[in-house]
Amino acid sequence: MANRAQIASKSSALIAMIADEDTITGFLLAGVGNVDLRRKTNYLIVDSKTTAKQIEDSFKEFTSREDVAIVLISQYVANMIRFLVDSYNKPVPAILEIPSKDHPYDPAHDSVLSRVKYLFSSESVASSGRH
Amino acid sequence: MLELEKKDKEGWISIIAYDRRNTSVEYIDNRRGMKFSMAEEKEAANTQVSELSTTDLKEKDENTLNFLDSVDNYLILIESLTSTLRQGWLELASARHSMGGSRVNTSLLTLKHHSAATKVEVNYDNGGSITKSPQLTLCKWASSDKKDSSFEDENIDNKESTKESNGSETTASPIKTENHLQKERGKVLSMFGALVSPKLRASQLSFETALDTLVEIANVRSSILETHHALLQHKVKPTKSTEE
Repeated sequence: MANRAQIASKSSALIAMIADEDTITGFLLAGVGNVDLRRKTNYLIVDSKTTAKQIEDSFKEFTSREDVAIVLISQYVANMIRFLVDSYNKPVPAILEIPSKDHPYDPAHDSVLSRVKYLFSSESVASSGRH
Repeated sequence: MLELEKKDKEGWISIIAYDRRNTSVEYIDNRRGMKFSMAEEKEAANTQVSELSTTDLKEKDENTLNFLDSVDNYLILIESLTSTLRQGWLELASARHSMGGSRVNTSLLTLKHHSAATKVEVNYDNGGSITKSPQLTLCKWASSDKKDSSFEDENIDNKESTKESNGSETTASPIKTENHLQKERGKVLSMFGALVSPKLRASQLSFETALDTLVEIANVRSSILETHHALLQHKVKPTKSTEE
């Protein structure tokens, strides 16, 4: 029971999405849309009326679901819940920040690359300390 | 050679000789007539320490290279993804322009129960390693119908044999697979009406390509996090060895 998520060596899982309407429409065209018996979807369409709380709740829900392997989130949406995205460190589901139509990708805000910067900045501090 | 004479209470002299060149220390006890040498043991210890250091360094170098390679791949894939998504959005906008805004929007999406045709296969078989993350593989257009489940297996088999033979295609009914793919794509497009713009079909293909890139990005992300963790472990090790 403790390892129920990893009993099978291979399992099929969904791609969840938290993004703007056009991005969601596009990926739904690619066949990733899923609606379960309780009419719960694997996506959240973010518009001007969507609150940070709704985004936060959706993020927490998708990252705790065992049948989700990847969570796609538009970077500008991730910036609204940056503290939550940066504190997430599980391998699965993988959180991928993607650009949106109106907000280009900024590597400075990417949670994975910010860890890279931290590693290099701590190395440079350590080496400057030795001299 | 540094020599130090030491006289004990009974007058016996012991000599401690220290050779800086090879850091050997000799202790001659004249009372007991014994001679001790620490050079060999120290040399053996030094050799052992240097061997360990070399191995550690090699591992650290390998991890650093893997880390930098993964970061480079990540950035290249992100760039590719941005370009593919931009194309997809443009084609979607063109389709909306030709079909009308009311025909291409999310309000048409049905909330009837249906499972995703495109899923991700998570492979937890990591060779027994605790730290290795699972590998993700995209399974496109796998039908939920039992009749068509054989096409899903074919898709997976085709992908595996493609990986083994470095891009050469198998001859296992590619026409049937292609027909199945077209059928599944058509099912999704039918949400937007019976007749859809070719731009909408093109947009569908662009977003499919974007999904392939995204799964690659997910695997590279795992690699970055693994090597990042390994490098942090290496950072802790040198502090322990200096304390010893």
